[in-house]
Amino acid sequence: MSLVVQFLTKIRGFALEADGASLKDWLQVENDVPDIYYNMAQEIKSTYPDNGSDALEKFVDKCLPEEDDVQEGRGSPWPGFNSFIKDYLEYWRDVDFDDVVNVYTRLSELLISCANALANPTYGVMLLQTSMALSESLSKLVMSLTRQPEVLALIEGDETGDGESKSIVEMAADIIQKFFTSCLGDRSSTRWAPPKGKKVAVYLFANLTLKLLFACEKSHLAVQMFTNLSTSGPALSLYPASQRVTFLYYLGRFNFDNAHYFRAHMCLEEAYRQCHTSFLKHRRQILTYWIPSNILCGRFPSLTLLSRPEAAGFAEIFLPVCSAVRSGNFVAFHAALNQHRDWLWERGLYLVFLYRLKPLLWRGLTRKTFLLRSSMDSTGQEGDSNKAASLSFEDVVVTAGYVQKLLEGYIPAHPSAPRPPPQGVSTVFMKAVNNVVPGQNSTLVPLPGGPRYLMPSEGLIFGNKKPDVDSVESVVAGLVYGGLLQGFIARQQRKFAVEGAKRYGGNAVRAGWPGVYEALGQRFRESWEEGLEAADRGEGEVVGDFGECPGWVRDSS
Amino acid sequence: MATSKAPSADPKSSSDLPAEQPQQPKQQTLEEDDEFEDFPVDGTPPSPHWQADDTEATQNQQPQHLWEESWDDDDTTDDFSNQLKEELKKVEASKTKR
Repeated sequence: MSLVVQFLTKIRGFALEADGASLKDWLQVENDVPDIYYNMAQEIKSTYPDNGSDALEKFVDKCLPEEDDVQEGRGSPWPGFNSFIKDYLEYWRDVDFDDVVNVYTRLSELLISCANALANPTYGVMLLQTSMALSESLSKLVMSLTRQPEVLALIEGDETGDGESKSIVEMAADIIQKFFTSCLGDRSSTRWAPPKGKKVAVYLFANLTLKLLFACEKSHLAVQMFTNLSTSGPALSLYPASQRVTFLYYLGRFNFDNAHYFRAHMCLEEAYRQCHTSFLKHRRQILTYWIPSNILCGRFPSLTLLSRPEAAGFAEIFLPVCSAVRSGNFVAFHAALNQHRDWLWERGLYLVFLYRLKPLLWRGLTRKTFLLRSSMDSTGQEGDSNKAASLSFEDVVVTAGYVQKLLEGYIPAHPSAPRPPPQGVSTVFMKAVNNVVPGQNSTLVPLPGGPRYLMPSEGLIFGNKKPDVDSVESVVAGLVYGGLLQGFIARQQRKFAVEGAKRYGGNAVRAGWPGVYEALGQRFRESWEEGLEAADRGEGEVVGDFGECPGWVRDSS
Repeated sequence: MATSKAPSADPKSSSDLPAEQPQQPKQQTLEEDDEFEDFPVDGTPPSPHWQADDTEATQNQQPQHLWEESWDDDDTTDDFSNQLKEELKKVEASKTKR
C-alpha cells in the first residue's frame, strides 16, 4: 500500500472518531518531521505532479468518503475537510524548506483552506487543534521573518506597490483572524458558561492575531475584533490564566496606542496582577507600558515598584522624566527623554511622552511660577490675604521665556560663581552684550552664533517661537479646559484667577492646581458622562458602565 | 520620589550631563527582545492554568504602595527655582528702571 493511501486511511479513521488530537499530531507542517513525510512528498510528486489535473482531488475524495449515518460523538469527512486534506498533500508536494518565501506562501494557502474546513458547524471542531498548531506555525514563521528585513523585502517586493498592499504580517494576521471569527460564532456554549467546542480557542486566536498586528504596527486593525468580542465574546475569566494575561496585555497596549491611558492602566494592571510571579520577563513587558500609562494619568511609579526585579533599570529611565514633570523643567525633560531615546523610541514611548506630557510640564511650570511669585511677594510683606490669588501671565512669560532661552542654548550673563567664559566667547563680548543690547532684561545671554535652532517639538510653544502673553494665555486656557487648573482667565488683567481657595483653607496652590491624577480621572469620568448623554440622545455609540473597557468581556454580573 | 530634587536647569550643568555621568554599559535587561513571549503551553510548571494564589492578585492582601499620586514639588529653593526667581527679579528691576 502506498504511503499516501496509508496516510489517508489513518486520517479517515481519526475523522470518523472525531479525534482532533490525533489529526493535529498527524497533520504536521514544519520541517522537523520524520522522514516518512518526505517520502510521502516524493510519492505525491511522482504520482500527482502539479499539472493542473484534478486527479489528486478525486483520489482524496475516494479515500475519504462522506459517511451517511453518523452516530452521536463520532464524525465524518466533509467536502471542506477533503479539500483541506488535498491542499495538505499538495503542501508537502510543493513546499521547499530552503526557500522561506515558498514556505510562507504554501503555509498561508493551507491555513486558508483549514479555516474554511473549520467553519463547518457540525464537524469543523475536530480540526480545532490542527488549526491552532498551523496558526502557531505560521505565526512563528512570520515573526521570524520580521527579524530578517532582507527576506521580508524579497517577499513584499513582489507586490504591485500601489501603497495599499498589505505586509505579510498583516496578511497572516488576516488569516488567523478568520479562525477567531469562526470560533467566536460557535454556538455550542453561551457567553457566560464554560466554553465548549470551537469557543475554547477564541482568546487563543485573538492573541495570535494581536501578536502579529502589533508586530507589523497595525494595532488599529484590531478594532473589529474588540468590537466583536464586546458584542458576543465569552467572558475572559472563563479562559486559562496565560490567555487572560496575554489578551489584557495587548488590549492595554491597544488602548495606550489610542491615547486611552486610564483604560490602558486598567488592562495592564489586571494583566500584571494575574501574571504568575515567576514570569519576570512577561511582568517586565507589562510594566514597560503600565508605568507610562500611569505617568500619563498623573501617577508616578513608587520606589517599591521600581525596586522589583522585573523593573530593573526602569528607575533610571522613568524617574528623571517624572522629576522634570514635577518641577515643570522642560530642559531636564528633554535631557531625560534624550538620554534613553532609543529605548523609548523602540517601544513607541518617545513621541507619546514628548507630546502628551507637555501639558503636565506646563502645569508644573505655571505652578512653580505662582509659588515663586507668592514667596517673593510675601517676603517682608503681610496682610495681603484678602487679595484674590492669581497668576500673572507676564510672570509666566518671564519664566517660560527663561526656559525657552535655556533650550536655545543661552548662558547666564552673570554667573553666580566665577567661571571661565564658554569656549570662543570673550569676556569683552559678554560685557558688550550685556551693556549694548537694548532692553536687556534677562539673566541669560545668547551664544555668539545666536540661538540654537529648535525643532517644532523642542520649543515651549513651537520651535523658536518666543512665549508671549497670547501664547501663555492659550496654554493656560488649555490647562483650564483639561481640568489641570481650577479657575478662570481674567483677560483684562492678563491673569489666571484661582477659584475655590477657601475650600482648601486658603491654600490657593492646592485649589488652583489640583492633583493631576485626580483631575485627569475627573475628566475621564466627565467624558464618559458626555458619551452617555450623547448615547441617550441617540448620537454616538452605546456606552457601557463607567470603567468598562471595550473588548474586555467581564462576567455577566 | 518625594525627596528627589529636580535636575538642575543650569545650562552649563545640563549640557555637561552626559560627560558628568560616567558612561555605564547598558544593562542587559534593557537590550532584551521587545516581544511578549508566548507562555509555555506544557512542560515546566506553572501550567497555563496557574491559580490566583501565585499572582499579585491574591498574594498581597494589603495593597502595595505602587504609585505616587501626590508628587507636587513645593520646593522654591532648588537650583531651577532660584534661577527662575532671579529672572523674575531681573525683569521686574528692568521695568522699574524704565
